[in-house]
Amino acid sequence: MTERAGYIPGLAPQDIAWQNLRFGSPDCALDISVPTLSDTQMRTVAATVRAGGRRLKTLPTERIVDIIDRAAAQLLDRAHPVRRKAEDMLPRITGYDAEMIRLGLTGYLKTFRKPELRKFLAEDFANPLILDDFQPMPKGGFARAFGPGILAHIWAGNVPGLPVWSLVSGLLVKAGNIGKVPSAEPLFAGWFAQILAETDPEIADCFAIVWWKGGDTESETALLREADTVLAYGGNDALSAIRDRLPVTTRYLAYGHKVSFGLISRAALDSRRVPGTAHAAAYDIVRYDQQGCYSPHVFFVENGGRISPEEFSQYLAHELSAFEKKYPRRPLSVAEAGDVAAWRHQEEIRSSAGGDRLVLGDAAGAWSVVYSSDAEDLTPSGLNRTIKVVGVDALADVAPRIAPYRRFLQTVGIAAPPAELYELANLLGQEGITRISALGHMTMPEAGWHHDGRFNLLDLITMTEIEHSAETAADTIAPYAD
Amino acid sequence: MTQDEIIRRLLDFIAADDATESAFNRLALEVFAYQFENNSPFRQFCMQRGRTPRTAKTWRDIPAVPINAFKELTLSCCPPEEAARVFMTSGTTKAGVKGKSYHPTLAVYDASMITHFKKRFMPDRDRIDMGILFPDESAMPNSSLAHYLALAREHFGTGDSRYEIGETGIDFDALFARLAQAEKTGEPYALLGASYSFVPLLDEMKRRNLTFALPVGSRMFDTGGFKGQSRELSLDDFYNQLSTGFGVPRSRCINMYGMTELSTQFYDNGNAVCPSVKSGPHWIRSRVINPLTGEDVPDGETGVLSHCDLAHFNIVSTILTEDAGVVVDGGFLLLGRADGEEARGCSMAVEEFLKAADVAATG
Repeated sequence: MTERAGYIPGLAPQDIAWQNLRFGSPDCALDISVPTLSDTQMRTVAATVRAGGRRLKTLPTERIVDIIDRAAAQLLDRAHPVRRKAEDMLPRITGYDAEMIRLGLTGYLKTFRKPELRKFLAEDFANPLILDDFQPMPKGGFARAFGPGILAHIWAGNVPGLPVWSLVSGLLVKAGNIGKVPSAEPLFAGWFAQILAETDPEIADCFAIVWWKGGDTESETALLREADTVLAYGGNDALSAIRDRLPVTTRYLAYGHKVSFGLISRAALDSRRVPGTAHAAAYDIVRYDQQGCYSPHVFFVENGGRISPEEFSQYLAHELSAFEKKYPRRPLSVAEAGDVAAWRHQEEIRSSAGGDRLVLGDAAGAWSVVYSSDAEDLTPSGLNRTIKVVGVDALADVAPRIAPYRRFLQTVGIAAPPAELYELANLLGQEGITRISALGHMTMPEAGWHHDGRFNLLDLITMTEIEHSAETAADTIAPYAD
Repeated sequence: MTQDEIIRRLLDFIAADDATESAFNRLALEVFAYQFENNSPFRQFCMQRGRTPRTAKTWRDIPAVPINAFKELTLSCCPPEEAARVFMTSGTTKAGVKGKSYHPTLAVYDASMITHFKKRFMPDRDRIDMGILFPDESAMPNSSLAHYLALAREHFGTGDSRYEIGETGIDFDALFARLAQAEKTGEPYALLGASYSFVPLLDEMKRRNLTFALPVGSRMFDTGGFKGQSRELSLDDFYNQLSTGFGVPRSRCINMYGMTELSTQFYDNGNAVCPSVKSGPHWIRSRVINPLTGEDVPDGETGVLSHCDLAHFNIVSTILTEDAGVVVDGGFLLLGRADGEEARGCSMAVEEFLKAADVAATG
C-alpha cells in the first residue's frame, strides 16, 4: 500500500513529482510517496503560504487556538481514521513499539488542547492580545507582535509527531509555515496539516508540508531564500550547512542535538524508594530508545545512601529487562547495532583493564548498564537503551564535569529533596542546563516549556511599535483636532 | 607452547597447500591458548566473556576482540619493548590514539603476505615491473601497508620497480614517462597503492587528457578505500576510470582488504563486478556476525565481519572489525564501515559529541 506524505496548497497533486520511500519489512512493506518540488513550484507554494499567512494575521489568536484544539481532539480520538492510520503506520516506519507510540501520541497531543495552548501563549506573552492588535506599552506608545511572513521549519529525526511542536508555534504567532519533513518520519506533520485544513478551510493555505532529500537541492535553496525566519533541527554539520546558505538578513533558530542526564541524591536511595526511582529512570531510557534530546545518557548517583550506586545500577538493569518484555526495543540497523556494540565493547575493555566497573546487559544486547565508580565526565551513551551509572561523592561535584560541554546540554532528571533540588538547579543552570524534570518525565516536557531555554513564540516574532510621538502627531491632524 | 614453537607451527601451516576445518581448529585453539596464557589484557577480556581455552571447542568460540581495544590495551604476548616491529593504525579518531600491533618477528607476517600475494596477484609470473603509489618504509616505519608494499617490490618486482611517491607527492612526469615506456616495450606493468593515491593520479591524467594502453598482463592493485584522504568515488566509477585510464580490464584490477590488526590479507579476483567477492588463504577464517550478540547472522544478511587470523599470533588472532559484510559463495562482500549513519533523533551520538567537544576545546 502507498501513503502520500506532505501537504501542498497551491499545486495540484498531478503536477507534483512524487518519490517513493519504502519502509517496513520486505514481507510487509509500506510505501510512502513524498512530494519533490521544483524551484518554481517551491516559489509558487511560498507565494500561496505567504498570502495565507497575511490572512491568518487578521484572525484572532483565540480562533487559531480553537482550530488547533479541535484538530488535536480529532487525533486524540482513537477511532478517527487518521489516528488509526498513525497507530498502524508510525510503528512500521520508525520501528518503535506500537504501544509506546500509542501512549506517546496521546500524551503528546494532549499538550495541544486549548488550556495547554493558552498556557503556551501566557508563557511568552504577558498579554497574548498583542498578537491580535496594538496594545499599550508600559513605556508609552503601542506595540503589536507579528510572526514572520514565511517561517521555514527543517525537521529531523524519527520521533513521531515532533514537528507539530514548531508548526503549532508558528501558527500561534500567525506565520505562514513551510515545514520540511525528515525521511525517517515523513507522515505525521502532513496529516496534522490536513486535519487543520479540514477543521477550518479559512487557514488551509497558511502552511505547507514538503520534503526533499537531505542535503539537496533547488527546492531547499528556493525555500531558504523565501523564508523570513528559519527554524532547523539536526546535527551541527547539517545546521551549519543551512546557516551557510542563508541570506544574512534571515533570522535563524538552530536546535542542535543535545545530551541529557540524571542526578540521584542519596536521600532517594533507600530500599523503599529505589524501585520506583529505578523504574522512572528506566522509563526515560526506554522511551523512544534515547533518541530524544531530552533522553538520559548517564545517571550520576550519590554515594552514601542505603543503596549504593552499584546496587542502583542493578535495579536499573532489572527495570530495563522488564521494559524489554513490555516495550521491546525497535530493531536496529547494522550500523546502529555496531554503535551499541562499540560502546558496550569499549566499556567491557575498560573494565577488563581494571578499575571499579561493571557491565550488565542481556545476551542479545537489547539493553546495557555500565556502572563506574571513576570520576567520569559526561559522555553520550551508545543510544538504544545503553546507560551509564556513575557513582559520585556529592551531586554538586557533577557541575564541573559537565562544564566543558555546556553548549550540548539540555535536560536533567533529578531525584532529590527540595532544598537540594533548588541548590542543584542553580549550579546546573549556570552550566547551561535549560530544563529540570522529575525522573520518568525527562522525555515529556510540559506544555509551554522553553525548548533549549529559548522562547518558542517570542523568538519567532518581531514587534512593531507605535511610539508615543506618532500618537500625538496623529492627534494633531485628526479631523476632530482643534 | 613457546614462541619459537608457535612460529614454527605457523610457518609449516602457511607453507602447506590447504587446511581442513579440523586442522585449522586445532591450531586456532592452540594459538588461543598461547595468547590466553601470555597476553594478560586478552585473558581478562576472555574471562569477562566467560571463555577460556577449556570452554572453546572451535575457532568460533574464541572471543573476538573489537579493533578499538587495540587502542585501549597493550595486546602482546611478548614484552612490547621486545617487539621487532610495531605497526600502528593511521586512524585519526579518539584524540590521536593509535591501535598498535606488536610483532616480535616479521617472519610469520612476511610468509603470510608472500605466500598469498603470489597466489592472488602473481599466479602467472615470478616478477613484474612495479610502480608503487605509497611512501616507502623509511618514511612510514609503523605502517603495515608500507611494509607490505616493500615485500611486494622485493619479492615480486623487477629491478626496474620503484616508488612513484616522493616527499612532494606523485612525480607525475616521471610516472607518465614510465607508463609510456611500458606501452612501448610491451612488458607488463603493475601499479600498486592505496586507493586514495590513485585519485589525484586519475585527476591529473584527465587534466592532461592522457590515457595509457598498458600491455596485456598488466595489472592494478589498490587497497584501503578513500578514508577521507581523497574525493570519494563509487567503486564502479573508480574501476571504470582505472580501466579506461590504463587500459587494464577491470578483471585485472585487484583490491586487497587488509588491516593493521591482521597479519593476513584478503583479495578479490578482479573488479569486473562490484562489490567483489573477497577471500583469504587457509590460515584465516571469517564470520559475519551480529556485533551485539556475537552470533552469526543468517546467510545472506548483512552483519559485521570478524576474522580469525592465525598469523597474527603475538597479538590476538580473533578480531571484530567495524566493517559491514555479507557471506556469499566463495567468500564475503565488503560493504563499508558499519557506522556513520545519520542520527535518527535529536540525541547526540558519541562520534558527533567527540567532534563537537573537540571543536569546543580548540575553538
